[in-house]
Amino acid sequence: MPLFRRHKNTTPAEETNPLVERVAIGEPEASTPPEAETVSPAPPASPVDPGVASAPKAPPEPKEYIPAADVALGCRGLVKRFGDFTAVNAIDLDVKRGEIFGFLGPNGSGKTTTIRMLCGVIAPTSGDAKVLGCDVVANPELVRQRIGYMSQKFSLFEDLTVDENLRFYAGVYGLESDKFAQRRAYVLRMADLEGRENELTANLSVGWKQRLALGCATIHEPELIFLDEPTSGVDPTARRHFWDLLYELAASGITLFVTTHYMDEAAHCSRLAFIYEGDIIAEGSPREIRDRFMHESVFEVEVDDVQTALTVLEAATDIPEVYLSGALLHVNTGERTDGAELLEAHLRVHGLVPRKIAGVQPTLEDVFVHLVSEQRATTPRPIKT
Amino acid sequence: MSWSRIKLLIWKEFRQLRRDRMLLPLVFLQPILQLIMFGYVVGSDVTNIQTAIIDQDRTTISREVETAFANVGYFTITAHPDSEIEMRPLMDGEKIQMAVIIPPGFGEALERRETAPMQLIVDGADSKTASVASGYAMQVLADFSQARAESTGLVPSGAGIDARVRVLFNPTLRSVNAMVPGLVAFILMLSSMGLMSQAVVRERERGTLEQMFVTPITRGEYLWGKLTPYILLSTVQIVFIMGVGIYWFQVPFNGDVLVISAGMLLFMFSTLGTGLLISTVSKTRHQALQMTMFYMIPTIVLSGFIFPIESMPAPVVPITYLIPLRYALIILRSNFMKGSGFVALWPEFAAMAAFSIAIFAFALSRFQKRLAD
Repeated sequence: MPLFRRHKNTTPAEETNPLVERVAIGEPEASTPPEAETVSPAPPASPVDPGVASAPKAPPEPKEYIPAADVALGCRGLVKRFGDFTAVNAIDLDVKRGEIFGFLGPNGSGKTTTIRMLCGVIAPTSGDAKVLGCDVVANPELVRQRIGYMSQKFSLFEDLTVDENLRFYAGVYGLESDKFAQRRAYVLRMADLEGRENELTANLSVGWKQRLALGCATIHEPELIFLDEPTSGVDPTARRHFWDLLYELAASGITLFVTTHYMDEAAHCSRLAFIYEGDIIAEGSPREIRDRFMHESVFEVEVDDVQTALTVLEAATDIPEVYLSGALLHVNTGERTDGAELLEAHLRVHGLVPRKIAGVQPTLEDVFVHLVSEQRATTPRPIKT
Repeated sequence: MSWSRIKLLIWKEFRQLRRDRMLLPLVFLQPILQLIMFGYVVGSDVTNIQTAIIDQDRTTISREVETAFANVGYFTITAHPDSEIEMRPLMDGEKIQMAVIIPPGFGEALERRETAPMQLIVDGADSKTASVASGYAMQVLADFSQARAESTGLVPSGAGIDARVRVLFNPTLRSVNAMVPGLVAFILMLSSMGLMSQAVVRERERGTLEQMFVTPITRGEYLWGKLTPYILLSTVQIVFIMGVGIYWFQVPFNGDVLVISAGMLLFMFSTLGTGLLISTVSKTRHQALQMTMFYMIPTIVLSGFIFPIESMPAPVVPITYLIPLRYALIILRSNFMKGSGFVALWPEFAAMAAFSIAIFAFALSRFQKRLAD
């Protein structure tokens, strides 16, 4: 199975994923007659005729999608349209139990919409999603009982105390009182909030709020946790501490589905998927993504006048990508072999003397920037309807 | 629907309300302030009407008429001009608002049990005072006529003093009596709509709304968990305002608690539904507040809360039927003052039920859709 695939038309998954038969799902139950494939479950806002829309994807005969036993979360052909806008375009995902799965992509690329569909908050326009063996479309409430969700807003009740927040979420999941006592003790220890149970949540600083939010999202010991940019706006120490907690959770067999903009965090994931404008454009372990995808050379350039150097290199037509990485420039010189010389020549023409030009292993950030800029350059947004 | 989860949501809401420092002033101080403002300032009764008596009859009976005017408490007799011509400069100079002309032969006519004409001149420059003053004057004369008939046994064979306005149910025409029941509905609307929309939008702003719908909480549970605390809070508020109105402002209560409760509950659903609707179109609490104000102004003007619907221009009147507060005001005022029951008020109840169902159903569908986007 190819690790990197690019969907540029309406029938991507058949070509790239021969193991799985494509099923356009309207009604997930087996009792549904075959013509149900053209019936999307919740399309009322969409003026698009679902029959026409899904016609190219229609398989010869609909068959229920059953993921492998070790898959905690799987989806096939998941689509979400808002009117004419396709937010998520027929994506396939497989997340194994106990994995930390990183879901990356620029803002507005469909990450949150995908999570909301996988949590059963919104119904997909079409497609099939199984979470922990349950059909999310048919039984969202069964799924919600068994998953945890934490967003970047932390979503705590700020005018409730630490204890009241925990009590509320424990009650929502119907925890028995002795179980609650045990989980509460665990969360307070985990979040380093022992002795602060009666403090108002509003008075906690960000790191504590973040860990309390994780505690609330895991109070019912979910088997799968969705974390939507859980570390945005948190200082590096708290971020590190938080990731230690995530490792602990993963080690205990819990599956984590994480979105992030921090590439160092992405590197911590067992597997990654890149989503861009609703399409999954790359998938695999961080190492696989770096090795298999990035055939191009990346150089790290140290120069005194970074701003001018950036402008100069951006203007150069034979240099595909350049961007600031800390105080250094990262430059992708494409597949040519004389990248270092080329860079030096460009800089010297403008009187800039580089202190150092060194070829480096492409980082995930290089790959990410490359993927996004390549998509932007080569593929105008495909028309999906 | 899980009752235990609804209970949990109610518990959570009350905990949050308890920590809201602005809540108590809003719920209890605001009604008092508004009662004072609307009860004393806006709806102030016309008293102390400067009156001139032109007594051209100069009999005992004419002096009795003057005394009757002086004693009723609304008129202050400030001048005794001899003729209408002498009176005019007083009225032009705003020295008097009303003049009572008792023509010669007035007493004699009454003695002869004939119709005794007399004249009231009212300054129409201030239309409200004019109508109130003439109303009072007619009342005074009617009472006088009645009292005279009883004491002398002389029932006028003609029309007597033919002025027979009887003001029912609010004989002294204290406007605070009509204002207090109106305020009950108005404040109920203001606070239930405002608090409801703020509460939902606050959860949307903080992301807790989103969070709740990835838990097993269903939309129905969430809504009941949200509505119940505000229904209870609004009920406490209504009882409080009615208590202040009855015991402090001495508004007589002739109504039926059952009718008022039923009416207010129906009305509450329409206001809470409107609050919910506002919350679905507002991204921030500030927007929700502006939307509330946007809704309030036509409601205040067109419902009959301050300006009587009877005095509105004819093309405007049909619009007032679209204002739920209109019906709530009729139910409250009629029941408060006259004790009107379900039989008399069924059109208002039917209209309010229809509005509540329509608004609430629309709000629910918008709420569902808003979550789905």
